[in-house]
Amino acid sequence: MREATATLPALHPVSAGDLRRRIWLVQVGFGALAVAACIGAPLVGPTTISLRQVFDTTIPFGQNVDAQIFFIARLPRAFAGALVGGSLAAAGVVLQALLRNPLATPFTLGVSAGASLGAMLVITLGVPLTLLGSAAVPVASFAGALGALAIVYFLATMRRQGLSTLVLLLAGVTLNSLFSAIILFVQYLADPSQTLQSVRWVMGNLDVGSYRPLVWALGPMGLAFVAFARLPRALNLLTLGADSAAVRGIDVLRTQRVAFLSASLATGAAVAVGGPIGFIGIIVPHLVRLLVGADHRLVLPASIGLGAAFLVVCDVAARTVLSPMELPVGVITAMLGGPFFLWLLVRNR
Amino acid sequence: MRLVTRHTTALVATLLLTVAVIPRAQVRPRAQERPARIISVVPALTEALFAIGAGDEVVGVGTFDKHPAEVATRTRVGGLLDPDMERIFALRPDLIIFYGSQQDQLAQVTRAGIDTFTYAHGGIDDTLSVIRQLGARIGRVREATHLASAIDTQLVDLRTRLEGRDRPRVLLVFGRQPGSLGNIYASGGTGFLHDMLEAAGGRNVFEHVSRESIQLSSEAILTAAPEVIVELTYDDRVTEDTQAAEVAVWDRLSSVPAVRNSRVHLLLGNQFVQPGPRMADATEAIAHALHPDAF
Amino acid sequence: MLHAEHVSFSYDARPVLHDIDVSVPTGGLVGVLGPNGSGKTTLLKLLAGLLPPATGHITLDDLDITAMDRRMLARRIAVVPQETELAFDYSVLEIVLMGRYPHLQTFELEGPADLEIARRTLAATGTAHLEQRTFRTLSGGEKQRVVMASALAQFERVPGASDGQDIAPDEDANPTRVLLLDEPTSSLDLSFQLATATLIAELNRTYRTTAVVCTHDLNFAAGLCRDLVLLRDGRVVASGPTDEVLTPDTIGAVYDVEADVHRHETTQHLTVVPLARL
Repeated sequence: MREATATLPALHPVSAGDLRRRIWLVQVGFGALAVAACIGAPLVGPTTISLRQVFDTTIPFGQNVDAQIFFIARLPRAFAGALVGGSLAAAGVVLQALLRNPLATPFTLGVSAGASLGAMLVITLGVPLTLLGSAAVPVASFAGALGALAIVYFLATMRRQGLSTLVLLLAGVTLNSLFSAIILFVQYLADPSQTLQSVRWVMGNLDVGSYRPLVWALGPMGLAFVAFARLPRALNLLTLGADSAAVRGIDVLRTQRVAFLSASLATGAAVAVGGPIGFIGIIVPHLVRLLVGADHRLVLPASIGLGAAFLVVCDVAARTVLSPMELPVGVITAMLGGPFFLWLLVRNR
Repeated sequence: MRLVTRHTTALVATLLLTVAVIPRAQVRPRAQERPARIISVVPALTEALFAIGAGDEVVGVGTFDKHPAEVATRTRVGGLLDPDMERIFALRPDLIIFYGSQQDQLAQVTRAGIDTFTYAHGGIDDTLSVIRQLGARIGRVREATHLASAIDTQLVDLRTRLEGRDRPRVLLVFGRQPGSLGNIYASGGTGFLHDMLEAAGGRNVFEHVSRESIQLSSEAILTAAPEVIVELTYDDRVTEDTQAAEVAVWDRLSSVPAVRNSRVHLLLGNQFVQPGPRMADATEAIAHALHPDAF
Repeated sequence: MLHAEHVSFSYDARPVLHDIDVSVPTGGLVGVLGPNGSGKTTLLKLLAGLLPPATGHITLDDLDITAMDRRMLARRIAVVPQETELAFDYSVLEIVLMGRYPHLQTFELEGPADLEIARRTLAATGTAHLEQRTFRTLSGGEKQRVVMASALAQFERVPGASDGQDIAPDEDANPTRVLLLDEPTSSLDLSFQLATATLIAELNRTYRTTAVVCTHDLNFAAGLCRDLVLLRDGRVVASGPTDEVLTPDTIGAVYDVEADVHRHETTQHLTVVPLARL
């Protein structure tokens, strides 16, 4: 028994600090990418604006077109793109690990369908146009997301002590179809102009026009990101399987719970701001894995940075390509994401 | 979500048809007999039928028909997307007015030996000629000509009245996400809405975009800097009470001259987005907003 | 010593284990045998602390494992599952480093000492040359060894490091460290089966790693294990030293098979040859 802790044979010494350096590099590198996108995006657009005039305080803001284009039409969009892109990419990473399924997306578990239903109800049915002093659509869609989250969570936890990821997946997919059917029904009943609006909402739009919805979204997103910060290593272990994670000291149930709730919260807030913008939550995490490997301590921060930068850039395309017409940003991410997704599918099989 | 987006293209195409419906008639060579039982799923033409005295012959109307009030007593037979063929046949019509895009239904009723009248997009002139053709088709040439001339005269009078006035640069909005500046749809440089705006003495800020409908970013509006913004809505929820709040949504774009000078007008009613007998009235209402001192 | 005392367990209403008594001495090498559905895997999960016993207790060095902190337990009980499927493709080194989780604080990164431990366990399982490969590209036998290295990495303490601070004070200096293996040979060819048996025996001999092996393979167990537990329908039919437990009578009672048991001349292990179904 004395030898029990006596050690295995020593090998060549090991280089220290490698992981620490990589994490640092990833955080700084991908963070810089997101910041660069946010700074660069407002400078680009169909209208040529003079930066000197934008920041010229002698002209009243009410008469400064360049400043209004910069601060109303472009900057909030860049911030919205960064928040929504980062949240969706992070939620994708977390849900893929939670479900142990590389094809999971932030929309797999029904949260976005709930959000869409909430938005549809406000757009098409006779409900007030403002809620809680804010535009009703984002508020209602966030409420819809929370409703869907509650239903899926309840279903996944009611049967056993644990949280069944299989039930989670099935409940999410079923809820998605159910909500989509209800959405179609609501659209069918609606007036044509309302249907046009609701269809347009589903395509995603980051033209928020003000910072208020972003400030609203920061609450749930911030909460989710605090939870994300503690998750990465537990997610690594979860990908080995629940039992393998548990015997390595992970509180599996708690991790699953935190992962599901935080990812859903981030998704709900993101969809409330920009609509259900697809493919960010799947292409960004996979692209990042190709770049930095599978360790979630690298994948999660890198995905947040790349997701933010990617959506900001897509949105610049959305507002410039067909100017003065707006191209739905969800169409751009889908057109880029769809082929990439298919490539991933065939590449791994 | 996938379910929804799959239908997106079809729906958008469809909606563009219904929101800015501009008829261009296609008349079948048939005898001048008067049909006794008419079904119309096209709101603008339903309204025209009543206006030219054929209201009693109308036995079935579309889901979205609201004018005139008598349509409430007629059988609803569905709309562009969902015509109820069983109900349509049960009404034993001898003329059905369909959208040009309803090819399957057109073929179906033609096989059943029922006459049809179809149409697609156009501008004000197309609308007037479709009214005349419809009159010819149902044996009410005189009434239809009278209606078309009345509309035409009213528009000519309007033009005369506005002659020589400065034509303000106008943004004509017909769709917007309620309570926000999101997903704004405006009239481009073609079609019925554009024609109405021109006739009302305005200059469309997006006349260079040769489309009926364009979805705008807020940047496009800031850059276009319209002097007047006319927003058309037939959203039932926008009442006189909420009108002020919806107009105030535009305040965010304070550098736009229309906003700065309080020249944002919200006009309620479906006559603005439905080219029919009331289109001269609608044009006049827009003119009132653009040139309040001319009346 | 890992000890299951009067342990029963049911899935929902279906009883799986009845009043089980199993004792694994420190440094022991115990095989758990039984037909399909006899409760072997469930017993393994109970011993690993993955399932709570409905009645009875499971103790590790006299401490009830259900009362132990999960991370404390993870430093002393590790599991090598029948198969490990990864959702994402990690490198072999990353997989082994995952065994260091119970030794790290929430935001702590694996240090040089952890890396060294990982490499030592890779060497001990004969997989040092695979370090930079990705797990998915390995063969079944290689995967199993890498997972075993990851499990062994759970046991290793970093000498003199802060690691010791959160170790419970009642953990004695030479605690029992148990490797639980579920069907380690089921997906391996003959050569890898032999290699696995050799590796487990070597770990047991050299590092006094306590091992519990669930298996269908009577001859594999007979060659490897000093003690056996024979299960049938969730009950212990026989348990004790291999030479005493493995008899035609017990095999008949457990498997309904008539078998010839004799000592192999070269290996001196008992060898079972099934003759007919009873």
